Amino acid sequence: MLSGAFALSRLAPTLSLSKPVQGSSRPNILIFVFDAMSAKNLSVYGYQRNTSPNLARFAERATVYNAHYSAGSFTVPGTASLLTGLYPWTHRAINESGLIARSLTDRNIFRLVGTQFERLAFSQNLWPNYFFAQFQGDIDKLIPAGSFSQVDYLAGEKLNRDLLTTQRTFDDFLFKRDTPPKSLIFSLFERIFLRRAVVQTNQGGYPNGLPQLNDYPIYFRLPAVFDGLISTIDGLKPASLAYFHLFPPHDPYNPTKQFYLKFDDGWSQVEKPIHPLGDHWSPKALYRFRRAYDEYIASLDNEFGRLLDFLESKGIFENSYVVVTSDHGELFERGERGHVSPLLYEAGIRVPLMISSPGQKSRQDVYSPTISVDVAPTLAHLAGNPIPDWREGELLPLMGGKELPDRSIFTLYALKNPAISKLSRLSIAMRKGNYKLIFYRGYSHADQFELYDLQNDPEELKNLYSDTLPVAKAMRDELLAKLDAVNAPYKS
Amino acid sequence: MNAGEIALVYAYLLVTNFLESLLAVCVPIVLGFMLPPKWFRDSFVSRGTSLVLLGLGYFMFLAYQFQAKDDYPSVLLKSWSVALALGIITALVFIIGKVPFLNKALGFVAERATIFLYVYIPLSLVSLLIVLPRLLLG
Repeated sequence: MLSGAFALSRLAPTLSLSKPVQGSSRPNILIFVFDAMSAKNLSVYGYQRNTSPNLARFAERATVYNAHYSAGSFTVPGTASLLTGLYPWTHRAINESGLIARSLTDRNIFRLVGTQFERLAFSQNLWPNYFFAQFQGDIDKLIPAGSFSQVDYLAGEKLNRDLLTTQRTFDDFLFKRDTPPKSLIFSLFERIFLRRAVVQTNQGGYPNGLPQLNDYPIYFRLPAVFDGLISTIDGLKPASLAYFHLFPPHDPYNPTKQFYLKFDDGWSQVEKPIHPLGDHWSPKALYRFRRAYDEYIASLDNEFGRLLDFLESKGIFENSYVVVTSDHGELFERGERGHVSPLLYEAGIRVPLMISSPGQKSRQDVYSPTISVDVAPTLAHLAGNPIPDWREGELLPLMGGKELPDRSIFTLYALKNPAISKLSRLSIAMRKGNYKLIFYRGYSHADQFELYDLQNDPEELKNLYSDTLPVAKAMRDELLAKLDAVNAPYKS
Repeated sequence: MNAGEIALVYAYLLVTNFLESLLAVCVPIVLGFMLPPKWFRDSFVSRGTSLVLLGLGYFMFLAYQFQAKDDYPSVLLKSWSVALALGIITALVFIIGKVPFLNKALGFVAERATIFLYVYIPLSLVSLLIVLPRLLLG
């Protein structure tokens, strides 16, 4: 149904997004989510390597949130929280390929902005597409995940009348790439034909190979994806809400030739002790991974610059909110590489958030902590709609809200915990003021706590936790009370 | 996912499996029509059964080579390698058809295996009735 609507919409005359339709005084809202982009690896946020000059250019006309966190440490909970304004313990999308609780699927940014907007969604990452399928009639146009790609062997989207089920059956099971083929004919031949398609595709310009989704058969070139975004935005009618979720810089890290080895400078961040819950990668391996990741960010940023040029040339900044953020970060420390991890240190959960308001020409900075569940109610407010009373976030400062420096915000990792049960195997990061408490339950015989003073110890090197320290006790009590409250509705 | 959604995924998987089974069965049927009766049709049960079993066994062997996502058994999938495998299967099928004991044994296996069809075909047809309307109507 969604793709049918999309097809039909292509036949309708398009209107430029830069020219508001008579009677439409609402601004457009364009949201760009870059998967696994850590704020700690962006030069716009002070990173050592010059990874994001174009994001810095964008920041010069945006409100920059310098202590913004994702509510989940990997795509499913992180994106679900961004889209719903609810914490993971509420929306319950906490496992791989997890879904938002059925009773809560009407709580999403597309419903919040309302039918006065033309609502479009695109995600290269398959998992947000499950959420889009759950949001059903709240999205007017759904662009398939394989769009703008060189190779697209996703099967579920080809059977899009029952998208949620077909994606789960075919793309997430039968044809999933990280396991042997599940069927002897279709899966096997799919692997063979996919490989041949990839080999025959031009991979020039990418020394590590074409950018790709790690478990699903999509291969793409960054310029083609951004050409697709530009073309899509150019065809939007005002007022529009367009949500674009791009896969880079998620691993595999495949930078362009222009940036390959650009950051092979020998620089390493301060060495941190191996964490027992981490993967035990060596410092040498982490250096290589981090370097490739930074180069991939720079490659992405380079294309983002083209997008900025387009938005500027068309005057879209004059009547649009443009939001840049991420669903979670990426760790290269303490033996851990990646984000699907119980380790909730800053690099894994602190993400960029920059919002350019219509006509904004100068930068504003917000330093008090904010969290991804703040985005949904803020979007409702920016769209001129009532703020929902079921929200778990607050209006973002300078976007209708106030700075709340002592507010408690949380990030949850509970990958192995059943979504329908009490949370008993998890880690939570709680930020309150300058302090951050990290809590682990279910990994050893007793609960574990770590406490860091982020103002004086931004690299989280010195664990201050002690039962007798007043701030530690207060934060611990608050966190445990919160956990008891969210677990109360569940029997076991 | 609730029970209904899980059942729906299972229905899709059964339909996929059913289509694969039809494809697998088509091969001996088509060969039965194409080849001279003496070569295949006259000992259809044993040669057809052995062909399907050996063919699926070959596919299982190939599928086993794809353990990690970037695995690709390039040597095994070269034309000569596939031709060799098919040649060996053909030879075995031919030989099996000539051995009375194996003929009898395969006939016995085929006869017993039809019992599963009493469950498999109805389940597959029910799954098809669930899946088709969803795909056609949304």
